[in-house]
Amino acid sequence: MNGPVLELKGATIKFGGLVAVNNVSFELQKGVLFGLIGPNGAGKTTCFNLITGVYTPTSGDILFKGERINGLQPHKIARKGICRTFQNIRLFKSMSVLENVVVGGFLRHKTGLLSALTYMPWSVNETEELKKEAHELLKVMDLDDVAGVRASDLPYGKQRRLEIARAMATKPDLILLDEPAAGMNPYEKADLQKTVRRLRDDFDKTVLLIEHDMRFVMGLCEHIVVLDHGEEIARGGPEAIRCDPKVIEAYLGEAV
Amino acid sequence: MRAWGSRVLSLALALGLCFGIEFLFGAIGEAYWTRLAFLAGLFVVLSVSLNIINGICGQFSIGHAAFYHIGAYVTGYLTVTFYAKFGVASLPWLLMLIVVGAVAAGLVGFVVGLPSLKLRGDYLAIVTLGFGEIIRIITINISEIGGAYGYEGITKIHPLWLVWFLAVCCIAVSRNLLKSAHGLSFLAIREDEVAASAMGVNVTRTKVTAFVIGAMFAGAAGVLFAHHEGFITTENFKMEVSFIILTMVVLGGTGSITGSTLAAIALFGIPEVLRGLKDGEGNPLMITAAAFVASILAIVLVVAAIKRLTVRFHGTFAKKTGIIFAAIAAGFVAQLILSVGLQQIPALSEMQLEVSKLRMVIFAGTLIVVMLLRPQGVLAHHEFSWELVKKVLRINRPKEASA
Repeated sequence: MNGPVLELKGATIKFGGLVAVNNVSFELQKGVLFGLIGPNGAGKTTCFNLITGVYTPTSGDILFKGERINGLQPHKIARKGICRTFQNIRLFKSMSVLENVVVGGFLRHKTGLLSALTYMPWSVNETEELKKEAHELLKVMDLDDVAGVRASDLPYGKQRRLEIARAMATKPDLILLDEPAAGMNPYEKADLQKTVRRLRDDFDKTVLLIEHDMRFVMGLCEHIVVLDHGEEIARGGPEAIRCDPKVIEAYLGEAV
Repeated sequence: MRAWGSRVLSLALALGLCFGIEFLFGAIGEAYWTRLAFLAGLFVVLSVSLNIINGICGQFSIGHAAFYHIGAYVTGYLTVTFYAKFGVASLPWLLMLIVVGAVAAGLVGFVVGLPSLKLRGDYLAIVTLGFGEIIRIITINISEIGGAYGYEGITKIHPLWLVWFLAVCCIAVSRNLLKSAHGLSFLAIREDEVAASAMGVNVTRTKVTAFVIGAMFAGAAGVLFAHHEGFITTENFKMEVSFIILTMVVLGGTGSITGSTLAAIALFGIPEVLRGLKDGEGNPLMITAAAFVASILAIVLVVAAIKRLTVRFHGTFAKKTGIIFAAIAAGFVAQLILSVGLQQIPALSEMQLEVSKLRMVIFAGTLIVVMLLRPQGVLAHHEFSWELVKKVLRINRPKEASA
């Protein structure tokens, strides 16, 4: 497939009189690290919510591998191959690290509920398979030493990493990271940068990420779109964005 | 093949246990105790099935008695109308009714669940509460099934083993669910709906499924209840019953199957045992008061002991059992001291009291104390497993191991 993985065509959403995202269009080619940045309230997370089906766009289209996905329910979009993490970590807190990842792999689970309730061997085997897969993924993400720990007992940086691992367990083509570096210290940030790069280099994923930390985005993303007040104000490579007067104005105010 | 062998074995063991219970109570031969064992089994089914909805899937439903109600009335009607005509043997008829009752309750659960499970938390609770009342009031207004007078003439068919077998099935289904990836998706919804749906879990369908499974077991329990009593009224299924079932789930530890099972037996048992202190039969106030204070004290100490044992308490097996026995002994000693002490006050020792009136006060007092001491429920999220037994019984030698 040669077309773009994800394509937004004039996506717009209005909440009453407020236009949260206004006529935003961009496309992601396969295998890019794409950054979506902008000041607070610019509509970045709303954009994510449009892509993942939490909201339906008021107008415009969202295409995933050429297929229109706006208006689909979140779980259907996840099944198509888009998975996300959340700005405020949303792990399954009282479940173990391993169980969190198993839930990520659940969308590939085939045996029915009835065989699960009657403890049929094939259902047991499939669950074991999922657990094995989850273990391998945890090893790759350097979380295998905490597989049995309650998710809420993990340190902050590991919780973020677990969220990415859980999203990876759905085997998505496109992975959306909502402020993955928020609240991290510089070491954790450097670590995270490596992880995100590996998602693309080793696992062949396309990555779209929202981030506040400019240095983090500039050091990572090849393409960047800047939103402000729901509208796109700039796009391009990191260098072009860094010098763009509109971006500087949006971030720092006119007085600079 | 070994896998199948162990499955057949556990089924055989389950049936053996149920017939064992039947045999035991048959040997005791007292109708009162048999009745208690029967009703206790029903409450186990009700609380474990509500645990699937409330505890595992996290949907706060407080109208569980409605499904129990539907199972009882639907099959009660069938028995009154058709049983005599068809001349089927009693056990196959009852087994068929259990299926019918479960399906009827499940269908209602589906119809009610589909729209209302879009609501969360308090809102869902209000809807399920209202639903329970609607079912009750509709029944009161249908004179064909007895209306407000109650529905009589249901042929009594009530093998004790069957109710316990249903309880075992309900426990097994919950346990199998939790062992499977499906169960994890149920838990994921309890933990965070938004994240669960972002991971591809069909939230609405899963919630409705949990609701239907819980409703079906409650319906089946209703069938057994109707055919045990022979006479049912809407009083048997009022809001209070829903609340008692909910209390069992919460007190046992929301989400814990072991907790719901034990709490069902305990909460059903405590008021019945207290009923044993009959009115005016030489039960002076002081003994009652002593029993009241002492039982609360004993419960406090036992709960505190369990709490310490589950929080990785390091101590030998002897020390651990010692604590539990000491807690129980302390309760007895307190009772003894109190009754002797109170006897010294002449005015008190002559007073008589209707103990049965204090019965529910003691019951409520127990609930309050347990919830204050352990808000997450007695067993919290713990489950019975042989590993846990080993862990609790293990004689810890951490010093030697590390040396």
